[in-house]
Parts: sequence; structure tokens; C-alpha cells
Amino acid sequence: MSAPRVEVDDLAVGYGGAPALTGVSFTAAAGESVCVLGPNGGGKTTLFRALLGELRPLTGTLSVAARPAYLAQTERTRLDFPVNALDVALMGALAGGPWWRPPSRAAREAAEGALERVGLAGRAGVAFGELSGGERRRALLARALVQDSPVLLLDEPLAGVDPASADLLDSVFRSLRDEGRTLLVSTHDVASAARFDAALCLNGRQVAFGAPAEALTRATLEATYGHELIVLRESGAERMITIQHHHEH
Amino acid sequence: MPSPVDLVDLPFLREALFEIVLLSVAGGVVGAWVLLRRLAFYSHAVGSATFPGLVTADATGISPTLLALAVALGYAGGVGAVRAEGERSEAWTALLLVAALATGVILASDVFESGASVDRLLFGTLLGLDASDLWLSGACAVAALAATLAFGRVWAAAGFDPDAAGALGLRTRWADLGLLALVALAAVAAIPAVGALLVSAVFILPAASARLLARSVRGLIGWAVVLALAEGATGLYLAYWLDAPPGPPIAVLGAATYATLAVTAAVSGLRAAAVPA
Repeated sequence: MSAPRVEVDDLAVGYGGAPALTGVSFTAAAGESVCVLGPNGGGKTTLFRALLGELRPLTGTLSVAARPAYLAQTERTRLDFPVNALDVALMGALAGGPWWRPPSRAAREAAEGALERVGLAGRAGVAFGELSGGERRRALLARALVQDSPVLLLDEPLAGVDPASADLLDSVFRSLRDEGRTLLVSTHDVASAARFDAALCLNGRQVAFGAPAEALTRATLEATYGHELIVLRESGAERMITIQHHHEH
Repeated sequence: MPSPVDLVDLPFLREALFEIVLLSVAGGVVGAWVLLRRLAFYSHAVGSATFPGLVTADATGISPTLLALAVALGYAGGVGAVRAEGERSEAWTALLLVAALATGVILASDVFESGASVDRLLFGTLLGLDASDLWLSGACAVAALAATLAFGRVWAAAGFDPDAAGALGLRTRWADLGLLALVALAAVAAIPAVGALLVSAVFILPAASARLLARSVRGLIGWAVVLALAEGATGLYLAYWLDAPPGPPIAVLGAATYATLAVTAAVSGLRAAAVPA
């Protein structure tokens, strides 16, 4: 296996006071996808912000092979801004290209391709503020795709997305992995974790990391989610879901 | 009622009209960014903050433009520093504005006893525009267009989604400081014609109206320039007719245009909602 793209060793990070997240150690190689699980306030976004370089490690080390493309969990985008879905996707090209020049034809094609990939090909000309919540989320994902980074950090990409689009995005994640990219995807959906190469459970500290089948035991999930975990028994088999408290910012 | 042809026939009006045209390009372009980056209050404040500089220049014979520019750029630097620290900058903007205005009034009334020329500084004048005013406005228009070509994509991306700018690897600090400086420059350029207190008439009002018409950043800039031109030229004619300083009629026209467009948009929005798709 090649050298890991993302390597985190005994990381602790915080916002000035007590650390918000401690004891995180994991690696992710090219072509690997990691599902990041945890309750709200468990440290998923904190981990992403540390990987983006926005938060300095208090202890431990981390290295990321390239500037990651990022889909934020909370939207602070301005709905009154006069941009359409294509304009938003094109902003991803600012990451690599010359920002002082108008977007190149290649960037434009990449933006159109990314919109098609997330199922927004027919909505390219629609004002961002007129898109539905799920469509806006997909347009922002398209912006991250245009960034063309080998590492993608996607913070709850499926929140607010309808089931059909969620299936589409799942297949996008698979193809990104097949292209050799490294994906870290946070989610509340425990069941979806099985589709990833690895699962990382966070609850203020790292509870577990490993292949989903091994890492996601009932014990680790209880340690991860505490009272937010509900265990359903359907004809003998156990199914675990979490209660989602979505916080509005 | 005077003939509108006077605007091009009479030399002093022709100069004023030329000044308004240059200011409309500068003000329309800068105003679009002011609106997109939520700097409306700052753009108003930076114009008004030059007041003590103008009073001092008026009384001491130093170039008012240079002194106003120094004050405005200093103000831009101060606001830029506060914004970069992540503090709530609105309160600081207001604090600095009030301090500057009060200092200006004390200087004007008690120190220099400037009297009559104060309202010219605050509300602009048709008379006494000279070549240096025109050059400054021209330079500002060119700077606004050039900066838009260079920084426009970064300004737009950072204004649309400030959180993502860092993840995209954009160094927005210098681009943002450049925008504050450009607004300061444009405000100073607008002072001779429309006055320190009403510079926002050529920035905010045309751009706010343009926002109701435009669906893209480029369209917003284009409409803002067109509306600033129309309001500026008409306002200048009204000022000449009413024997008033040009700032107030331009500001009133800008506000009326915005109100008309906003009501029209609201009514057509209601109609669209009433008709089933």
C-alpha cells in the first residue's frame, strides 16, 4: 500500500479552552474512504477543521498530502448573492488556477461535469438562492469536486438531501474512491458506514477506528452515541439508529 | 425651467457632468462590491470620516483631496485591522465615524470658524470643480475596473461563502484590504461633487437598485453603473434648475428609483405567486 494521504497520530485539538477532541490516531491511504461517526459536538467538524489547517494541534501530529476539498456542515452561504449553480461550482477552480484571470474553458467544463455528476446538470443556470436545500448542498459538493483535490472532507454531505439524491451521491463517493481519492465523510447514518473502507467513531475522543464490521460493535456505538443510540430488534436481528439533533447556526 | 442642453453647453456644467460620468463608473463598480460584501455602512462612514480632514484643509490651504485621502485610507486600515482580528467591526466603524464627525464640527465651528464652506464639504458643489477632481475620479474609475478584473473572482467567492474561502486556499486578507482601500479612494473622489455626507448616494443606492434587476455579478455591476449615470445626470440637472448642491437631488433620485423598483418587484412577485405555475 502507498504512503497514507492522511495521517493523524495522538491528536488533540480545541478552541482555546479544554480540548474538544483528544486521542485521535488513524491513517487513510489513496483510494480509501473513511466514515466519521459521532454525536453532535462529538468532534467530527473539529477534526475536519484541524485537517484543513484552521485549528492547530494541541498535542500530537497530523499530515495531509494536499489541500483538501471541503464541504462544510453548516451553511453560511448567502442566498441573496447573484450567482447560479454553475457560478458556485466554478468557484472550486479558484483553488488551483490563477485567481486573477477569468475561468478557463477547462475550468468551465470541469464545473459543468461536476454539476452533472451530482445530478444538477439541468439546474446550472438557476440562482443559488432558488435551489432547494438538498440542491444547494449538491451544488456546494460540485464546488468541492471542481477543486480536484486527492483528499475530500465531506461534513454530513447527505443532510437535507432527498433519498434518490442520496443514492446518487453514494455512487459519486464510490467513483471518487475508485479514482484513487481519499474520502472522509461524516454522517449520522450508522447503517451507511458499512459501505466505507473504515469507520472512525468520535465522542470527544476517539472511541474506535477500523473496518466497519469490526469497529462498529454495539459496545463502541454505545460509547460513541450514549443515550442517542436506539437499538431496534426486528425478527431477531439488531439494527442501530441514532437520534439526530440538528443544530441550526 | 432651464434647458437640459445647458448641461453640455455651459462649461462649468459640462465639467460637472463629466465628473458625474467618471464618478458613476467608479461608484457603480465599487458600489456593486460594497453591496455584495456588506460594506454599505463602512462606505458611508469612510466618506463622512474625512470631514475633519476637509475642514482642516479648507482652513489651512493644504490640498483637501490629499488630506481626505490620508484620513480615508487611515480609516480603511483601522477598519481592516479590526475585521482581520475577527471582532465585530460594525461598532468600531460607528465609533470611529462619530468621533471623526464630531472632531470635524468642533474644528469647523470653534477652531477655524469655517462657517459657510462647511455645507459645501458635506453636500457637494457644482462650482469650483477643478482638473484635479476630474483626474482623481478618472483614476478611481480605472482602478475600480482594473481591481474588479483582477480580484473580482476572489471577492465574489469570499463574499458568497466566507467559510469556504480558506478551504479554497484563497488569501482573502489582502484582497479584502484592497477593497476597503478602493472604497476609501472612491469616497474621496466623490466628495467634491456630492459631499462627504452623501457619498453613499453614488455607491449604495444605484447598486441596491441594480440588485433588484441583476441575476449575475457582472449584471449587477453593469446595472449599477447605468443607474448611477442616469441618476447622476438627472440629479445634476435638477441641482442646476433648483440652484441646490448636486448631492441631495442625486440621493433623492437614487432613493426614489430604489423604492419604485422594490415596489414593482414586490407586486410582480405577488402576481407570480397568485398565478398557479
